[in-house]
Amino acid sequence: MAETVPAIAVRGVCKDFGGFEVLRDIDLDIAPGTTTCILGPSGSGKSTLLRCLNWLDAPSAGSIRIDGEPIGRIGTDKAARPMDRRALAAARTRIGMVFQHFALWPHLTVLGNVTEAPVHVLGRPRREAEAEGRSILARVGLAEKADMYPHTLSGGQKQRVAISRALAMRPRVILFDEPTSALDPEMVGEVLGVIRELAREGLTMVIVTHEMSFARDVADTIVFMEGGCIREVATPHDFFTAPRTDRAKGFILRGSSTPEPPLKKA
Amino acid sequence: MNGFQVVWENRDVFLWGAGNTVSLVLGCLLLSLPLGVLAAVVLTEAAAPLRRLLAELVDLLRCVPFLLLAYVVYYGLPELGLRLDSWWAGLVSLTVYTTAYLAEIFRSAFRAVAKDNIEAAQAFGLSRSLLYRRIILPQVAITAAPMIGNQIITTIRDSALLMIITVQELTFAANFVSANHFTPFAPFAAAVGLYLLLSFLVEAGVRRMERVRMVRYG
Amino acid sequence: MTWPAIRTILDGAVVTAALAAVSILLSLPLGLLIALLRWRRVPVVAGLLATVVSVVRATPFVTLVLFVYFILPSAGLELDPVPAAILALTLNTAAFSSEIWRSALQSFPRDQREAALAFGLSEAGTFTRIVFPQIWRANLGPLVSEVTILLKCTPAVAVIGVVEITRAASRVGAETYEPLPPFLVATLIYTALIAAIVRGQRVLERRIARRFGAVSP
Repeated sequence: MAETVPAIAVRGVCKDFGGFEVLRDIDLDIAPGTTTCILGPSGSGKSTLLRCLNWLDAPSAGSIRIDGEPIGRIGTDKAARPMDRRALAAARTRIGMVFQHFALWPHLTVLGNVTEAPVHVLGRPRREAEAEGRSILARVGLAEKADMYPHTLSGGQKQRVAISRALAMRPRVILFDEPTSALDPEMVGEVLGVIRELAREGLTMVIVTHEMSFARDVADTIVFMEGGCIREVATPHDFFTAPRTDRAKGFILRGSSTPEPPLKKA
Repeated sequence: MNGFQVVWENRDVFLWGAGNTVSLVLGCLLLSLPLGVLAAVVLTEAAAPLRRLLAELVDLLRCVPFLLLAYVVYYGLPELGLRLDSWWAGLVSLTVYTTAYLAEIFRSAFRAVAKDNIEAAQAFGLSRSLLYRRIILPQVAITAAPMIGNQIITTIRDSALLMIITVQELTFAANFVSANHFTPFAPFAAAVGLYLLLSFLVEAGVRRMERVRMVRYG
Repeated sequence: MTWPAIRTILDGAVVTAALAAVSILLSLPLGLLIALLRWRRVPVVAGLLATVVSVVRATPFVTLVLFVYFILPSAGLELDPVPAAILALTLNTAAFSSEIWRSALQSFPRDQREAALAFGLSEAGTFTRIVFPQIWRANLGPLVSEVTILLKCTPAVAVIGVVEITRAASRVGAETYEPLPPFLVATLIYTALIAAIVRGQRVLERRIARRFGAVSP
C-alpha cells in the first residue's frame, strides 16, 4: 500500500510553561487535502498545539514534520539541535496562519498586507504578487477594499483579509487559531463561508474552533483535546453521534453556543 | 524702536547664528536618529549582559547635565588629538546626548507595537531584519512622532547652551549684539522669536505625522 | 586633582543644588496655579498664560536667563545674579510643570468630581480632597522628570555670573591650565546626584503603586 506522507506529523510533543504541563505526549497525523478541526474546553491545550505546529511556541520535547521535513528542531531528542533562524523562517513560509485577532499589519493597506510576505520573503515580483493578491481578495469578496487600510474594515472583513494573506503564500497547510472567536455573531458566517469554500477546494487545514456545528459540517477529522492530551480522533459523524469518552460526551452536551473568553497565555 | 533697528542692522549676525543652530540640530538628528534606532534594537534584541550594560549607559547619559557634557567634549577632544572647531565639539556632545534620549524613546515605541503583529510576521517567515525594517520601524515612525518632535525641540533648546563653549549659534549672536549695543530687549526678543519659529516648524511637522496616523490607523 | 580643587567644585555643586531646590519649591506650586487658571478658563488671564507658557517652553533656558537678567533693569527691577537665576529657573520649570498639571486636570475622570459635588463638597474641597491627592501621585513620574530636567538646566546660570558648579570647574581649570579634570569631576558629582534622585523616584513610584494600586486614571 502506497504511503502518503502526512502533511503534518506530530510525535511525542510535550509543552510545559514554567512547570505547568500544557501538552502531554501528543501524537498526531494530518493527512494532506483534509480539514481537521481541533475541539476542546478552555485550557485543553488546543491553541498551544496549533502554535507548536509552526514553532511559534517551541515544544519542550517531541518533533514535528511538515511534508516530511522537520521544523524547529533537527535530529532525535537526544541529539536534537534547534533549527537556525533562517531555516525556521523558510520552513514557516510553507505554513499559513490565521490568528484569532487578525494580526493585520496596520501601517499597510489590505493589498500591502497580502503581498508583504510573498514579495519580501519569497522574492516574488511585486506586480505578479499584486495581481495574485487582488484575485485572492476577489475570491473572498473584498476586491474593492484592496487599497484601504485595515482600520476601516469590520472584523469579518479583517479576518477575510487575514485568510487572503495566508493564501497568497501558497502554503502546504493553513492553521486557523479560533478564527471566529473575536467576531461579532453576525460576521461569523462570512468567515466560515470562506473556510468552507477552501475545504471544498481541498486545501489542507487545521482549525482550532468553538463552532461545533461548523466543525461537524466541514471537517474530515475531529481531534478532541482535554487536559493537554488528545482524547479522541474520529470522523465528525462518529464523534458527534457516538463519542467514546465521557469527557467528549460532556463537552458535546455543553454545546458550542457559549463563546469562550480569549485564553490568557500561561 | 532703536533696539529693533540695531537688530535689523546686525541681521547677518543673527542669520549666521540661526544658521549654526539649524545646522547643529540637523547634523545632530542625521546622526542620532539612526544611532538611536540602532541602540534601541540592541536594547531589545541583544543578549542579556550587553543589553544591561547598554541600558545602564543610556540611563547614566540621561542623568548628565548637557552643559557639563559639552565642556567635557570641548576640552576632551584636544586630549584625543583632535583640534577641531567648537562647532564640532557642539555637534559631538549634542549627538551623544540626543542619541541616549532617542534610544529610550525608540525602545518603548518598539514595545508598543502589538505583539500579534510581530507574531504574524514571524509566522509568515519574515527574518528579524525584515521584521524591523518593514513592520516595526514604519509603525514606530508614525506612532513615536510626537515624542521625537518633543525631543527635537529639546535639542534646539540644548543647542543654545553651546554658546557658553563659544559656539556662535543664535543665543551667542543675541548676546553679542546686546552686549555691543546696550539694547538688551530687541536682540533677545528677536532670538526668542526665531526659536519660536523653529519650534513651530517642528510642531507643524508633528501635526502632519498625526494626520498620516489618522489616515492609516484611524 | 588636589583636594582644595575638589572642595571648590563640591561647593559649587552645593550652590547649584540649592538654587535648584529653591526653584523647585517655588515652581511646582506656581505651575499648578497656572494650570488651574487655564483649566477654569479665567478670562484674559488664561489666554495670556497660555501664550507665556508657549513662549517659555520654546525658548532655550540659557536665552531665558540672559533675557531675564538683562531686561529686568529696564522694568525697574535690579536683580543680583542669584535672585535673577532663581527667577528664571522658577519661570522655566513652572511653565513646563503647568503642562503636566494641566493634562492631569483635563484627563481627571469627570464622574469623580461630579460625585464629590453631589455629596456637597465645594469646588475647593473637591480639589484638595479628591483631585489633588490623586493627580500628584499619578504624575509623580513626569513631575520628578521635570525636577531632574531643572537640575540639568541649572548649570546654565553660570552665564550671568552665578558662582556654581560650572564656574567653579572653570576657575580650577584656569588656575591649573588643565581644564578637563575639573570638568570631569564636576560631571561625575552632578550626574551621581541626578542618578540618585532618579533611583529614588523609581523606589517611590513602586511604593505608591503598592499602596494605591496602579494609579493612572
